[in-house]
Amino acid sequence: MKARGGGRDGRMNVVVLSDTHAPQGRLRPGSSGMVRETAIGVGGSPPWRAEGRVPSVDDVISLDRLGKRYGDRMAVDGLTLRLRTGAVTGFLGPNGAGKSTTMRMILGLDRPTEGRALIGGRPYHELANPLRTVGATLDARAVHPGRSVRAHLLALARASGIGRARVAEVLEMVGLDAVAGKRAGTLSLGMSQRAGIAGALLGDPEVLMFDEPVNGLDPDGVRWVRRLMRSLAAEGRTVFVASHLMSEMQLTADHLVVIGKGRLIVDAPLKEVLAAGAVLVRSPHAGDLALLLAAEGVAVERRAENELVATGAPIERIGDLAHEAGIRLHELSAREASLEQAYQELTANSVEYGSAR
Amino acid sequence: MNEAGIEETVSPPAPPAPPASAGLREGARAGARAGVVVAVSRGMAAEWGKLWSVRSTWWCVAGTVALTVLAALTLGGSRVTELLRDGVTTVRLPATDAAISAMVFAQLTLVALAMPAITSEYASGSIRSTLRATPIRGRMLAAKALVVAPAAFVIGVLSGAAAAAAAYLVLSAPIFGGLVTLPAGRTAVDLLRLGVFCALVSVLALGLGAALRNAAGTLTVVFMLLLGLPLLLLMSGAPVAMELALRLPMFAGLAFMESADNPTGGPLPYGSWEGLAWLAGWTAAGLAAGLAVLRRRDA
Repeated sequence: MKARGGGRDGRMNVVVLSDTHAPQGRLRPGSSGMVRETAIGVGGSPPWRAEGRVPSVDDVISLDRLGKRYGDRMAVDGLTLRLRTGAVTGFLGPNGAGKSTTMRMILGLDRPTEGRALIGGRPYHELANPLRTVGATLDARAVHPGRSVRAHLLALARASGIGRARVAEVLEMVGLDAVAGKRAGTLSLGMSQRAGIAGALLGDPEVLMFDEPVNGLDPDGVRWVRRLMRSLAAEGRTVFVASHLMSEMQLTADHLVVIGKGRLIVDAPLKEVLAAGAVLVRSPHAGDLALLLAAEGVAVERRAENELVATGAPIERIGDLAHEAGIRLHELSAREASLEQAYQELTANSVEYGSAR
Repeated sequence: MNEAGIEETVSPPAPPAPPASAGLREGARAGARAGVVVAVSRGMAAEWGKLWSVRSTWWCVAGTVALTVLAALTLGGSRVTELLRDGVTTVRLPATDAAISAMVFAQLTLVALAMPAITSEYASGSIRSTLRATPIRGRMLAAKALVVAPAAFVIGVLSGAAAAAAAYLVLSAPIFGGLVTLPAGRTAVDLLRLGVFCALVSVLALGLGAALRNAAGTLTVVFMLLLGLPLLLLMSGAPVAMELALRLPMFAGLAFMESADNPTGGPLPYGSWEGLAWLAGWTAAGLAAGLAVLRRRDA
């Protein structure tokens, strides 16, 4: 087998017939997370892995000064990004920040007015078989209400040269096999959401994009989606999830991209964003410590007679400074900010967007 | 094809040249050309499944057949009684003539079948799934047109046959003077032309649907173009309006099908092939409008 698809060199359209290329892998919800079962082909690794190709960062999604202008308003403004493989990237921002527009531009649905969005170094419409490269759910309800979920998925499969067996497989994965014959208009939002996810998984793609995937799901469904995202990323895929649910992203994402008014605010690992949190210190000499820390350039907020909160320095440094000065501590603890707090701070610090919220 | 039914285009391994090299670009272009056939045929398979997986399609088929039969009987019946009243007994009317006249009305139920192939996708938002699978707009529209056209052709032939058969069975009875006939050669030609007419009108509706996107707007425009406008222009009586009316799809279609009977009351000023050309021109214009909008506007 040679010259299998390889986006790194811009030759993603070179795909050679092969028995390992089928979407034979299975993702199943299970108590210990997702278990990938392989019917045929190489053991357990996704088909695009079978090529012996480890995707580089450039391989997957890159946005280059991407912009979308509606009239005199920039919905997306100069977004430059590289999405990481093998990670869940959370895409956050207030309503109307441009998340969905960005996703639609990546998927070739909306035309950027500036810059470009590339997948494996190519614009979406140049992908040889797009659904086998990128799977996405944008709007769970976007199915003809009179058509069954099975018929909808079958149409997508046929358009991508994917076999009928795979449709049954993804329906089982998302737990919709029982209602797959029902008209889509009769399904609940949660079921539609699962159907959308089935559509994204159909082509066993290397890149997955979800826009608000847990909307309408029950708690079980939410946990299932969380595990699914984690396992998809663990298989080395690139997972890009737009959400406004901070708590969900805190549990799911490895990396965060935050935008406001179409502009990039943060592009950093989740850990880094959360570590911007504060350190709580209790000490009988809180006053002395506050002066000391302030002199060292650490922001200090006095909470009570013997309690203060320091921000802008790692917890170790605060402990060391106190020790060197011989100040007794009764408590020294990291107050990891919740993503929600961090998000509030991030967007608030960005003056331009202060009034946006 | 492998076990899971995956087909992939097989292209020769690209030479190990830097991405910017002319050779690789050439190769990519060749690959893209080969991909057209694969992408469009896959798109057609998808569209065919979509067309028949909603109930409305079946209702439209039933409606088209029923309407054609009904209109053929009433229009053919009134034509025959008119002739008999005038004492004409030597004329022979092919039964398919009644079917052709009937299709002028029944074409609207066919439009109701063809148009949703695109307008319902915009209504539900599923156009985004369709375009994610087939991102090149022209290919997506081609796949739809290549499915709608043969479907409409077959429905046109079948409902024409049903209408002609019904007209012959009823109107060849002695009380109708035995004027209606069913000559084999003429019937076959007429049915084929009916099929072509239906296919072209349906694809015209599809193109306009792609241009206008919503069902109500598309139906209004298609109705005016196919029925309203030609009749209004005809009624105005002005020579220029008449000339224009005669080039619209309705009269072009009647000329193409060599209908013995048309709303002008007289013979049409041009023949079958010119009629086909005008009709096909309208279809091409509709498709071009649809494609232009698809390419320009965001999905």
